[in-house]
Order: sequence, then C-alpha cells, then structure tokens
Amino acid sequence: MIELVNLVKKFGGLVAVNNVTLTVPRGEFFALLGPNAAGKTTTIKMIAGLMKPTSGSVRVSGYDVVQQPLEARRQLAYVPDFPFLYDKLTPWEFFRFIGRLFLMDSARIERVAREFSARFSLDPYLGNPIESLSHGTRQKVAIVSALLHEPSVFVLDEPMVGIDPQHARVLKDILKERSRAGTTVFISTHQLSVAEEMADRIGIMHEGRLIAVGTRDELRRQSGTDGALEQTFLALTAQESAADMQGVAQKPAV
Amino acid sequence: MNCASTSNGGMLWLLVKVNLLQTWRRLLSVRQQSWLLTAVIAMFLAGYAALAFFLFYKGLKFAGSFPGLGHVLIERMMFLLFAFLFVLLLLSNMIVSYTSLFKNRETLFLLPLPVPLQTIFQWKFIESAILASWAFLFLVAPMLAAYGLTQQVRWHFYPATLLLILVAIVIPASGGAWAAVLLARFLDRRSFQVGLLVTAAMLIVFGAVWLKPVGVTDEELETRVLIVLDRLLGKTRFALFPFLPSYWVAAGVQQWAEDALGDATFYALVMASNALFFGTLVLTLTGTAFYNAASIVLSRGSALGRWKWYQTWRKRRAVDALQHGPVDRLIGAIPWLKPDKQALIVKDIRVFWRDTTQWGQTVVLFGLLAMYILNLRHFGAQLTSPFWSHVVSYLNLFACALNLATVTTRFVYPQFSLEGKRVWIVGMAPIGLPKVMITKFALSTAVSLCVTVGLMVLSGWMLKLEFEKLADLGLSAVVMTFTLNALAIGLGTLYPNLKEDNPNRIVSGFGGTFCLVASFLYIVLSIAILAASSPWGRGGRIDLSWVLGGRAVFLGLSCVVGLFPLKSGLRRLATFEL
Repeated sequence: MIELVNLVKKFGGLVAVNNVTLTVPRGEFFALLGPNAAGKTTTIKMIAGLMKPTSGSVRVSGYDVVQQPLEARRQLAYVPDFPFLYDKLTPWEFFRFIGRLFLMDSARIERVAREFSARFSLDPYLGNPIESLSHGTRQKVAIVSALLHEPSVFVLDEPMVGIDPQHARVLKDILKERSRAGTTVFISTHQLSVAEEMADRIGIMHEGRLIAVGTRDELRRQSGTDGALEQTFLALTAQESAADMQGVAQKPAV
Repeated sequence: MNCASTSNGGMLWLLVKVNLLQTWRRLLSVRQQSWLLTAVIAMFLAGYAALAFFLFYKGLKFAGSFPGLGHVLIERMMFLLFAFLFVLLLLSNMIVSYTSLFKNRETLFLLPLPVPLQTIFQWKFIESAILASWAFLFLVAPMLAAYGLTQQVRWHFYPATLLLILVAIVIPASGGAWAAVLLARFLDRRSFQVGLLVTAAMLIVFGAVWLKPVGVTDEELETRVLIVLDRLLGKTRFALFPFLPSYWVAAGVQQWAEDALGDATFYALVMASNALFFGTLVLTLTGTAFYNAASIVLSRGSALGRWKWYQTWRKRRAVDALQHGPVDRLIGAIPWLKPDKQALIVKDIRVFWRDTTQWGQTVVLFGLLAMYILNLRHFGAQLTSPFWSHVVSYLNLFACALNLATVTTRFVYPQFSLEGKRVWIVGMAPIGLPKVMITKFALSTAVSLCVTVGLMVLSGWMLKLEFEKLADLGLSAVVMTFTLNALAIGLGTLYPNLKEDNPNRIVSGFGGTFCLVASFLYIVLSIAILAASSPWGRGGRIDLSWVLGGRAVFLGLSCVVGLFPLKSGLRRLATFEL
C-alpha cells in the first residue's frame, strides 16, 4: 500500500508537488499520467525515498519512508526511467548482488532470476557484461532485478521505454500477475494505452497537483467525454489550464 | 542488534566486493586497449617516479651540503611539504567526496534499496578516500625513498612510514567527507555563501601579505645569508604548529629516520588515535546528515536561488530568452561570416561556456601559467644575464605550448566526436561536415591565439625583452597554435568516437593519446630548433643563414605536423557516412 498525505515538494520558489493526498491500496495497479513537468517523477522520487518531502508524508506498506526508511525500502522496488547498472558485471552477477542486498538466499535468488530471465528472453545475455547490452536489454535486466525480492510495492517510472512490443507484453502480464497477487503497482507513463489497458485506477497530475483520480469510467464522467483515455486526459488538463488562467485573471492587482 | 550490525557489515562488504570486481574487470580490459595508450601511461608513471626520485635526491643532497644549515633546511622542507600536501589532500577529498556522495549514479541507485544510509556513506567514504589519496601516495613515495637514502635509514623506515602515511590519510579523508556533507547541506544558504566568500577573501589577503616577496640583493645573499635565511624560515614557521596532523607525520618520519623510535612511536600513536577518533565519528554518525544533504542537493534548483538579484536576473533572462545574447551579437558583427557558420560558432561557444568542467580546467591550466609569468618580475635581479633571460624566454614558450597541447588534446580533439549522436544535425545541414570542422578549427585557433600570444607578450614584458625578440617568440607561438589546433582537429576527425558523450573518455582512446604524444614531440623538436637557431643565443654572433635555416625547418615541420592530419581529416569528412 502507498499513502501520500498532503505531500508537498518545493524547489526554491517552484512548487513541484502541491498538496497531493492519495492512497493506493494493496494489490492495486495505479497509473500516474500528466504532461511534462507535472511533478510525476518528483512524486515517485519521494515514494522511493530519494527526496524528502518539504511537508507531508509518504508511507509504503505502512512504513514512513523518512522515519522508517529501511523497513519501507525492504517492501519496495523502484525502477527509474534510466536505471543504473554496474557495467562490468554480468546480469547474473547483478541479480545475485541485488538478491543479497535484500538478504535472499542463493537458491531463492537463482529460482526467481531464472524464472524472470526466461520470460524476458535474457538467457543468452546472462553471462555477458552489462556494458555490451542494448538499452532495451538493460531495461529488462533492471526490471528483473527489481522483481527478485517479490516486493509488496513496485514503482516504475516510464517502464516501457526501449522495450520491444513482445517484451512490453511480458512486462504488462507480469505487472498484472503481481498486482493480482497483492503487490501494489505504481507506474508513471506517457503511454496512455498502457494506463488504459492495465490500470485499476488512474491519476492525472498537472502543475504539481493531482487534478483527477479514478477508474477510466470515473475520469470520463469527470471530464465530460466518452471517448478514449486520450480525450479524457486532454479534456481534464485543458480544463485545469483554463481554470488556472481564470484564477490568474481574477487575482486582484497588487 | 547483533544481527543488524552483522548484516550492515555484510552489506558494506558486498558493496566493496562488487566494486572491486568492477575495478578488476576494468583493469583486465586494458588488454583490449591500444598498446600505445598503455605504453604511454606506463612510461609516464615510471618516468615520473624516476624523475621525482632523482630530483628529490639531488635536492636533498644539495640542501644537506650547507654546513650547519643543511639539517635545519631539510627538516623545515619536510614540515612544509607535508603541510601543503595535507591541505591539498583535504581539498581533494572534499571535491571527490562531494562528487561521489551527491553527483554519482551509484549513490542514487543505492538510496532506494534496503541498504542502511550509514553503510552507503561508509562505502562512498572509502571510495572517495582511495580516489583522492592514491596520488598523494604516488607523490610522497619517491620523496620518502630519496629522503631515506640521503639519511641512510634502516630498512624498517620504509614500511613504518608507509603505515604512518596510510593512517594519516584517514584524517583529511574524514575532514573532506564532512566538509562535502556540510557544503551540500548549506551551499544554498546566503549566510553560508557570504561566510565562504569572506573566509576565502581573508585567506587570499593574508596569503598575499604573508608571502609578499622581499627583495634580496646579491650583496645581502653573499654577506648576510643567515639573516636572509632566518627571515625565510620565519615565514614557514606555521608548518611547525604541533596540533597539525601534517606535523605529526613529518615529525614521525624524521624521528624514525634518526632512529629515535620512542619519539617516532609517540607521533605515530598521536596520529593513530586521531585517525581512529575522527574516522569512527565519520563512519558511525554521518548517515542521516548525508541523506538530508543528498535530498537537498536533489531538490536544489540553483545554489544562488535565494538571492533577490539572482531571481531578478533569472526573470529578466527568461523574458530576454528570445532576444539575441551578447555572443550572438559579437559573432553576428563579424561581417565576412555567413549565418550558418555564425550559428555553428555561437553553438560551440555556448556549449563550451555552459559546461563548467570544460572551461574550468582550461582556466586552471592557463591561470597557473599566468601566475608564474607574472611572478617573473620578482626575479628581475637574477634574470639580468642575457643567457638566463634567453633560456627562460624559450622555457616560457615551451611551457605555454605544452599547456596549449594539453588544452587542444583535451578540448579540441574531441570536438568532432562530441557531435556524436547529434552529428546528423550538422551533417545533414547544407554547410557540409568539412566546413563544420574548418569552422571549429578557426574558432579554437582564434581563442587559443588570444591566450598564447597574450601570455608570450606578458612573459616578454616581465623579462624586459627587446621588441625583435618578443616578435620572434610571439610569431613562433602563433605558428605552434595553428599547428597544434590543426593536429587536434585532424586526428579527432580521423579517429572519431561517436558513441561516447564524455570528452574524457573520448580523449583517453588511441587517437587522443596519439594526439598528445605527437603534440609533445612536435613541441620538443620545435623548441630545440628555435632555441638552437635563435639569433640571440650564440653570444651575439648572428649567422643569418643558420637563423633562417632554423626558422624554415620549424615552419616546414609545423606545416607537416598540422596540415597533413587536417587535410586527411577533411578528406575523410567529405565522404563520411552519417
């Protein structure tokens, strides 16, 4: 479960995340959408514990990521948009390293790594240095390493970038299976089709605020459209921009 | 509790093991590197160690040959050397720690993992201390070997001093890591910035006053040498402050050399207890402070963001963003430059200017040379002899050319490769790649000329050279500037690395090493030819055919070294497949 309570993040004068409150329950697949610079990655970085909130709190599986960082991180897996990997290691060595950081025993690491490597067709690359792998293959290695410890919360930032359609399907299947098994999946994406197909609920961020949260049907109703998610998304962000402009216009001159 | 600490220790060991494996494989990959690069690196390392040992040995022998004074001089030099090395080590630890803790992808990768913050900090501390200190060991090893040999020490001096220095490294490493965390935590605070600036200004003023050159005449040097020496030693007394860690190392080393093992052990124990104390503090209590600082660095827009003037400037800049900037206006004012070339030059200047690491290194290199040249005026009395004036003027040309070669190899050579994945942008434009490279050559040569000719004129002025000699040196610098830039651009085009974005990695390949070696050989040959055929170097006897012949050979050599790779590179570009 992920709980964001009155979450605020300021970068100097800029409010990147503005009073976001959201609960993503256990086993839910949640997709966060929004235009560029909406605050999605900053929100994800606060969930992952990379940044401390200016105010408010983030809880992962009941643990506050600032007050109980170690407990929160044990429940969490995070795959950023450009994941770091040790270039001179092989994928297999990297999996063993990650598994041991999560205090897994060798047999379990091997079992889970073998299963996911086979699904992502990584077997031919397991003994090659990571530096020799293509961008997509590296992304698959990062995803497998994140899945190893069977996290209860899985956070992914733009996970489909660079992955071929066949393995994008594999990833979607795995994420859906994990969410059915009780893992909370939280992804940020610009691919509306992924959100439309996979997500139980969708959140839309705009200029740091969470302007809409709900199922596809709820969002359609809220936006007053009845087409694809793209229309819903465009309508909601346009309404918000218009409201912002109106707010600026109505502000009394100082 | 026990279980947790074992697990934390295990995680640290896991991080160390993974990084050791990475380093080992990097070392193994040297086998796939060009043999020229490996040979050059090995030659420079061995050459440095041998040369440093030789110079230290000769210097210590020379200093020790003054009856009654030798011992005092050597002792003071040791204290001074360690004091300065410690300051450098502290600064280097601070810079490396800052990069390693707050600007490193591995740190960002580890932070969301269930690795205790203290363990991440411990690993990064160890990594930074090793990265920042290996050069210190490399610097002091030849000096200690030479010192041991001149003092005829017993065998155990060498392992004992090595151990003492390894322990000593912990103190600046701890100080540097703490300073990096504080810097990251408070850098955007206005009071912190003001405090830093005031401290830096005070240090500069204090240093300038304290180290103000005192004129000493030849007569004083002949008759009052003890007074002069006493004045000199008085200025270096700060290195004898007994609470400085450098004092404990220098004293420990010297006591060990004199076989005063009791005193040496005392200093070693003082050092070890301080290293243990500060090391333990850093390794056990810094995790949370590090995390707070890391979060602030990730959240920080600009270090100057809290100043009103900066905010106003940013706002104005945002408004002016669509207007032509000063670089546009300056380059646009050059009448014969077509718009495509203007655009290319403006782009290159902006990219260079906005990459602080690029111009920062250039400023340091040429800044040091300018400081040296400016200080030549204090040697006016010693440089009255035409012979020394002649030697120093050519040495200045040599130093200036070497600096330029470093800059051209480091910055001009990777210019084509840096277009890298973006090469299609200029490659598909109607300007054509050969013209792109010619424009880059013209820009880098024009900028280099301002610096090299400026430095040569300054050097000539400080040495009070006559106009003809100054013109000769200036013209030689001009020719060398053209050649070194042409060589770097040409080789950079012949050996491109279009996959790499990092200029350091581009330069460290075969072509970059070849460029550096070729530049170095060209400079050595050129200076030898110029100095040997100089009209002022043969006691005033001018043999015109000898002088002209020498200049012709220099020009011919410059043409071959510069034009050949440039033309080959341009030919290659004409048929280059994007």
